[in-house]
Amino acid sequence: MACPHLEYREANEERTFETARAYCTAVDAFVQPMRADICNDRYELDHTTDCEFYRNAER
Amino acid sequence: MSYDDYLAGDPVVITAALTGGVHGKEASPHLPETPEEIADAAEACEAAGASVVHLHARRENGERSFSRERFQELTEAVRERTDLVVQHSTGGTGAPDDIRHEPLRTDPAPDMASLDMGPLNRYQHLTSENTRGLVESLAEEMRERGIKPEMEVFNGGHLNEVHELLDRRPDLIEEPIYTTLIFGGGTTAMPTPDTFRSLVNHLPEGTQFNTLGFGQHQLPFAALGIVFGGHVRVGLEDNRYFRRGELATNAQLVERAATLAETLERPVATPDDAREILDI
Repeated sequence: MACPHLEYREANEERTFETARAYCTAVDAFVQPMRADICNDRYELDHTTDCEFYRNAER
Repeated sequence: MSYDDYLAGDPVVITAALTGGVHGKEASPHLPETPEEIADAAEACEAAGASVVHLHARRENGERSFSRERFQELTEAVRERTDLVVQHSTGGTGAPDDIRHEPLRTDPAPDMASLDMGPLNRYQHLTSENTRGLVESLAEEMRERGIKPEMEVFNGGHLNEVHELLDRRPDLIEEPIYTTLIFGGGTTAMPTPDTFRSLVNHLPEGTQFNTLGFGQHQLPFAALGIVFGGHVRVGLEDNRYFRRGELATNAQLVERAATLAETLERPVATPDDAREILDI
């Protein structure tokens, strides 16, 4: 299950993209592509244990 | 390799690391992500002096991909446009071992592939494990498919692992051995000239080495690599800036490395030179 703080957006106040990209609502910023694997719990990654932003937001 | 090799004036192989798998266009609009963008950047880097291109594949939305199909699309685009030596990344955090083999399975096989020699810290709670078992299985498939390994040495412990692998499996890696020495923060080697000298002095006999400095260390460590008879990797995967506050393009970083090599009186290798030097 993907992180509840994950959204896909084509724009924020600073930049736009042709294809919607991972956006972290916990830190209000686009997500690095490698971090998006954590957000989506791909492979053997898990946002609840691997992401410091999720852990901080849920404290 | 040593200062004597510098004095001999052998060609410098410049590897362009165009995109990586960690950051994307959110970090720099110049960072290529699609096969077409990456092929454009590769062509510009070849014109600027690169002879090897280090490739990572991306999904349509810029997120990283390990799939053979995405690497196939990417490598075909680059081969259509350039004569560069093609090096696929096998690096990755969190991906199961079988997925890490996927970039080796394009048709034709890549000329080279990266081989991370041990664990790395990532973010706050993640480690890229790169177990000895995975390193060995990747090296075995590279050997079977005629792919030249680029042994990535992120710190002194990884150089121990290079020696250990060569001792334990002398059949696995063909000469000349090719390593990339990596300097910066985190799990990489400390970016000091002393660390650089120490690692170079402890390379296996006859090793060709490539020098990679992250961020602000890219330029000075390129210079060190050239002066000590090594090769150089530059590009937006490792460093986004041309100078403080000024975003770079891949071709600008390659052009600067080529100018540096020529200023220091080492010629810049062509792709054919690189194939000869690395026995590809």
